[in-house]
Amino acid sequence: MSEFSKAMGVSTSALHMQASRLRLISENIANVDTPGYRRKIAGVEAVQTGFDALLAVQLGDTTVDDRAPEKVFDPSHPLADESGHYMGSNVDLIIEIADAQEAQRSYEANLKVFDQTRQMSSSLMDLLRR
Amino acid sequence: MFESLNIFKTAHAMAKHAGLQQSLIAQNMANSDTPAYSARSLPEFSQFITNDKSGTQLRATRLGHLGVVESSMSSQITRADTTKDPNGNSVSLETELLKSVEARRQHDRAMAIYRSGLKIIRASFGSR
Repeated sequence: MSEFSKAMGVSTSALHMQASRLRLISENIANVDTPGYRRKIAGVEAVQTGFDALLAVQLGDTTVDDRAPEKVFDPSHPLADESGHYMGSNVDLIIEIADAQEAQRSYEANLKVFDQTRQMSSSLMDLLRR
Repeated sequence: MFESLNIFKTAHAMAKHAGLQQSLIAQNMANSDTPAYSARSLPEFSQFITNDKSGTQLRATRLGHLGVVESSMSSQITRADTTKDPNGNSVSLETELLKSVEARRQHDRAMAIYRSGLKIIRASFGSR
């Protein structure tokens, strides 16, 4: 396989990984008010598929953030204990937004490299044209 | 020119170098969030050219870089372990983007050289 198709394969794996990461982040944001929800953290790991293949990237094991959940005061809530508090989620919106920004930035950078590699390989094909 | 076709050899090696560089950049970009990954890079193309001091000869790359030993160019890949993020990753997106622009330009240059060489040969055949 040529270097260009290897490069495009690796960029594709990264695009895929960043998109799944963004999916986990949106899951966290959607569940910010769910009682007892634990924030999920996307793991990233490098995989080598062949002997001289480039290091592709994929989503590794998803871990759960075990920070203490936020205590919400609402005596009328069905889950409230005798002091009137119930356990909310431990999602911090600021962290999620920052994570989403990082995922978007990496996604754009990989898309850029993919596009550039495609242009380089098509300029190579142009040599055949007269 | 027609005995050895050095222009084509050099342009081929230059394009190959740019392609390898681009695939390393793609790998670095893809792994910009992988923990404990160190960025890979390739020396500049001029470093692969033997120093011929006579001045009249066209500079060709070392024998090993022209397909005799296929992996010799990729054996020069180095890892950067200097500045690291807290998760042990040493990829800088900005540097990689700049390097990819450089690789693109180098590849375009090699293609232009190759095409112009082809044009000369075609002209010598009398076909247009």
